Amino acid sequence: MTRIGPVDANPYKWPYGGSVDVTAVALICVDWQVDFCGPGGYVDRMGYDIGLTRAGLPATARLLAHARDIGMLVIHTREGHTPDLSDLPANKRWRSAQIGAEIGSVGPAGRILVRGEPGWEIVPEVAPVPGEVLIDKPGKGAFYATGLDLVLRTAGITHILLTGITTDVCVHTTMREANDRGYECLILSDCTGATDPANHAAALHMVTMQGGVFGCVAEADAVISTTVTG
Amino acid sequence: MITVDADPGPYRFDLASTALVIIDMQRDFVEPGGFGETLGNDVGQLRTVIDPLRAVLATARATGMTVVHTREGHQPDLSDCPPAKLQRGNPTLRIGDPGPKGRILIRGEYGHDIIDELAPLAGEAVIDKPGKGSFHDTSFGDLLREKGVTSLVVTGVTTEVCVHTTVREANDRGYECLVLSDCVGSYFPEFQRIGLAMIVAQGGIFGWVAPSSALLIALNLQEATP
Repeated sequence: MTRIGPVDANPYKWPYGGSVDVTAVALICVDWQVDFCGPGGYVDRMGYDIGLTRAGLPATARLLAHARDIGMLVIHTREGHTPDLSDLPANKRWRSAQIGAEIGSVGPAGRILVRGEPGWEIVPEVAPVPGEVLIDKPGKGAFYATGLDLVLRTAGITHILLTGITTDVCVHTTMREANDRGYECLILSDCTGATDPANHAAALHMVTMQGGVFGCVAEADAVISTTVTG
Repeated sequence: MITVDADPGPYRFDLASTALVIIDMQRDFVEPGGFGETLGNDVGQLRTVIDPLRAVLATARATGMTVVHTREGHQPDLSDCPPAKLQRGNPTLRIGDPGPKGRILIRGEYGHDIIDELAPLAGEAVIDKPGKGSFHDTSFGDLLREKGVTSLVVTGVTTEVCVHTTVREANDRGYECLVLSDCVGSYFPEFQRIGLAMIVAQGGIFGWVAPSSALLIALNLQEATP
C-alpha cells in the first residue's frame, strides 16, 4: 500500500484529510506539446520564449518517473483540432490568425494545433508510455468536450496532481474545472510554466488565496518525499 | 452590429445574440457584515462595481438584451457540496455554518441572495451554481442556446475566481466574451489587474476587456442611428 501526504504545500498540507492512497490519485500532464514548448511550434511562432514554457520539463520528468514507479494513474492531455477544423470555434481561429499563427495553417512543425501533426505531439522528455491515458481536447480546459471526467470516475480518482503548460491558461482552466467537480487538486509550481512570468506567478498565487480556493501549490520533490510505501 | 472599443481590439456583437451576465453579486460577498467580510476581506474593493453595473443593467434592460444573474450556493443538506470544498483549509466559518446573514452559501438564505441594487426583475434568469464556473452542473449553457446567445458581456465578482472560471468555460464553448473592467471586482487589487491582463494576453486568449463607458457609448450610438 502506498500513500501520499501530507505534502508540504501552500496554503495547507495537501491533501485535506492528511494523506491519500495512490490508487485514488492521478498525475495529469497538460499539453506538453511541441506546439507549446518546442521549436517551430505555435508558441514559438507567436514570438514567445519557449525557454519559459520548457522550464518545468526536468521536474515533470522526475515526477512522472516517480508516478510510474508507484503505479499512479498517468494522464496526458493534448490541445488540438481535427484536420477539417470542424471542432474549432470561429473566434479561436480568428484570434490565432490575428496574432500571426492561424490554427490549421502550415508551420515548421506541421499544421498548427491539428491532431496528428508533428507540432501536436508531446515532447520526448515527458512522452507517454503504453498504458497511459491520452485525452485530446479542443479547448483550454481538459474536461470540456472530452472523456476525462469519465476516465477519472471509472478509475476511482478523487485527487489530482497537475503539471503542464501554460500555467495561467490550460493548467489553470483544467484545475478550475477539476475543483468545481470536487477533485482535490495540487499544482506543482516547478512542473509548470507560462509565456509571461508575471502571469505564471500570479496564477500560482491565486490558487493559494482564501484558504486554497482551487486547491494547493507545492513542488515536485515535496510529493516525492512524502510518498510512503508500507 | 455594435462595435465596442476594447482591448486587444474592437468587440463586435448583435443585441439579439448577446447576454449581460452578472456573476454572484450576492449579499454574502459584497455587503458589509457578510461572509466575505468575516473572512477578513475588504468588501469596499467589490462595492465599487455596483454603480457602473447598475448603469449597464439599466441600459441592457432598456435595449432588451438578455440578462442572466448567477448565484453561488448549495442545497441546505450540502448534498451538492464536494467534500474537498467543504473541508479544506481552516476558515472561521465553513459552508453551511450560521453566519451574520444566514447559513453561509446556502440557497434560500438572506446572504445568498443578490443585493437590492441589482435585484433581478421578473423574467430575468437566475442561475444557481454549486461551483465557481457558471456552466458546470447548471442549465446556463442550455439557456444561452435556447435564446440564441453567442456573445456574453460579463460582470460581477470576483474577477479572478468566478468571473475568470466562467469566462474560461464560455471561451472553450465558443462564446465571445467582453469583460467590463469596472463592473468586475476582486478583494485583491493585484488580481484585479492581472486577472484582466490574462484575458487579453496572446491576442485575447479568453476574450476582450473594456470599461463600461465604452459599451454604453456604443449602445447609445446604436440607439441614435435609425
